[in-house]
Amino acid sequence: MSVIECKKLSKNYDEVEALRNIDLEVKEGEFFGLLGPNGAGKTTLLKILTCQLKSSNGKAEVFSLDTFTNFETIKPKIAIVPEQESPPSFLTPREVLELVVNIRQINGKDIDYWLNFFELDKMEGRVCRNLSRGQKQKVMLASAFISNTKLMFLDEPFINLDPLVQSKVREWLKEYVEKGGTVFINTHLLENAERLCDRAAIIHQGKIQSLITLKDLRKQNLTLERLFHEIVV
Amino acid sequence: MNKLILFRMLQEEIRLNTSFASGKGFYSFPVLVLISGLLATLFSDVMIEDMGYVDYLQILHVSAIFYGLFAGSLAFFGNEFLERIFGYFGLIIGLSTTHPITQRKITFLYFCKEIIFYSFFTMLPALIGALIGTYFTNINITSLSIFSMTLYVSFCTGISFAYYISSFYRKSISHAIIYSTVFITIYAILFRGEEITGTLDWYLNKEMKQLALGTIVPIFLSLIATLNITEHNNVSSISIIGYKNRFKEYSEKYTWAEKFGIPGILAKERIDLERSKTGTKMFFSFLFPLGFLTFMNWFLDKGLPIQIDFNTIFYGVMIGFFGTMLYSWLNSIDTPHFYSTLPVQVSDVIRARLLLFGTITWWIPLIFMALISYMSNELDLLPIGIIVMITVGIYIVNYTAMSTGLKTNSALFDAFVFIKFFFISVPPMIAMTILSLAINHRPSTILVALSLICGILSLLSLFFYRKIDTKWTNESFD
Repeated sequence: MSVIECKKLSKNYDEVEALRNIDLEVKEGEFFGLLGPNGAGKTTLLKILTCQLKSSNGKAEVFSLDTFTNFETIKPKIAIVPEQESPPSFLTPREVLELVVNIRQINGKDIDYWLNFFELDKMEGRVCRNLSRGQKQKVMLASAFISNTKLMFLDEPFINLDPLVQSKVREWLKEYVEKGGTVFINTHLLENAERLCDRAAIIHQGKIQSLITLKDLRKQNLTLERLFHEIVV
Repeated sequence: MNKLILFRMLQEEIRLNTSFASGKGFYSFPVLVLISGLLATLFSDVMIEDMGYVDYLQILHVSAIFYGLFAGSLAFFGNEFLERIFGYFGLIIGLSTTHPITQRKITFLYFCKEIIFYSFFTMLPALIGALIGTYFTNINITSLSIFSMTLYVSFCTGISFAYYISSFYRKSISHAIIYSTVFITIYAILFRGEEITGTLDWYLNKEMKQLALGTIVPIFLSLIATLNITEHNNVSSISIIGYKNRFKEYSEKYTWAEKFGIPGILAKERIDLERSKTGTKMFFSFLFPLGFLTFMNWFLDKGLPIQIDFNTIFYGVMIGFFGTMLYSWLNSIDTPHFYSTLPVQVSDVIRARLLLFGTITWWIPLIFMALISYMSNELDLLPIGIIVMITVGIYIVNYTAMSTGLKTNSALFDAFVFIKFFFISVPPMIAMTILSLAINHRPSTILVALSLICGILSLLSLFFYRKIDTKWTNESFD
């Protein structure tokens, strides 16, 4: 069953064509990567899929529902880590997770687990405004992971994280997908994409240039990096 | 290099403003100012007849100083505001952190940019409007041009004073307070017994010494400010550690408000308000316009042949109107971007902020109302004043929330939004002001009329409140 579907999707900002005729399908239980250089249109696509932006043309569906008109049904079922780490400035990490739990009306028993997981328990009593960028990113990830949704949208989730935390996050995401969750990840860190994704699309200048199954790529003794260079450069 | 940086800063300012408002809205603003300049000239005869020639010119100079101060405050204290609204916001002024240019130099260039921008964006259109106005009046075009130059110096004084305060604010808030008091005291001593500004004194009395003195003031202020700027100053207004977890406590407290807003959002916004110490800022932001009103009251009393006393009901109207400021403060505490990761709409956050306005910040206007009525010996008018204040406050804040959403300050930069705001807010205020001034003549009739207006405003408030959902559904938090 497909959880994400785009057909002939386009987005224009005045005269700039940010997305051009995107056709895409992501199945339930898939780890899907959207790869591309800076400014390729990755974040724009993610914003459309997460009900934050209206497309100019074409179809964008999540759980078979149009993303712009079904905000109330789609939003509780998805978790998002946006490109910019922007947790509430004046809340402590624990309070941020309590806010997420309160708004999503889910059980808050995992709050301590996630604070420990990201070593945010040491930050008790500090508001997010005073955290480093990496720590803020951890708060954003914890907020998404605690949401307990079946579909997760991650926009450059590994930026600012140290290698140890990156590896912990990778492991958790793999487990999440194994248990039936679906991940849609935007990244230009090809190494992470190669380790995690089942399938990936390379987007360049607003257009999907290639759809890749990682297994097939490995069979052909190709790397994502080589393919990426061939397409983008 | 300096020229290039200055040019890029001007480009940046224009792009920043057009990103706040629509391009058309932004470029229409000078037209609005031009029309204001034209009207000021056309009605100058009436004003002079009412207030007297010298008093009218003085009031224009005071306004120019305050306008400069306002523009300068936006520029020099706006960075913190921009960061809170938009998250990280990189401006050219931040170049000194990564490039070999001193903070002193880049801040001075930024100050020059501000003067150039406001000169071309507002002062010049106002002058053109006024010059066009001379065609329809008997005002001499040369004397109007000379007077405009003196006004321009007053504007520069205001903007330089903001620059001066900000340079001390970089060190600490107490430095800013002490050195602004020092400057105000010196200014008061220098111009004691003279006109309010040196250039006005020169214009009226042809005293060259006063012209020199008046012109030196902004130069002196900007020089001190520039020399005062050093590297690595950091003002931290909030503590780093030691915050107790309050979220659960507050979200439980707000379960009663579930009908109006999501308790989680209300708790988050309430904590933001407390920890950012915005309540104190809100309180002090009331002092400035109220002080200005009191000054105008005193000034009009001095200038007009008949005595006009602004009573408690009048202040109720004004303080209610300043509710817009409170709502705008609520919108500038923190960036709302995090909400985009949650299943909430922009309208949910707007409603939460409206509820906070009504339940948490109410004490600020109430304190001012009580103080004003006590000081004017009008405690008997206080209940009516409070009703008027609440009605006007709810009306204007609901309209502001409906029309500007979570970006009140930036949305009002759009001339079209501003004009609508003007036409929605000014007519009821004028009607209520006239009624309040006539309360002693026919109290019962005036009370009936006031009640009628309050009723209409309440109905309109409800209408604006209901429109929030339709207007802000599906809007993004960006």
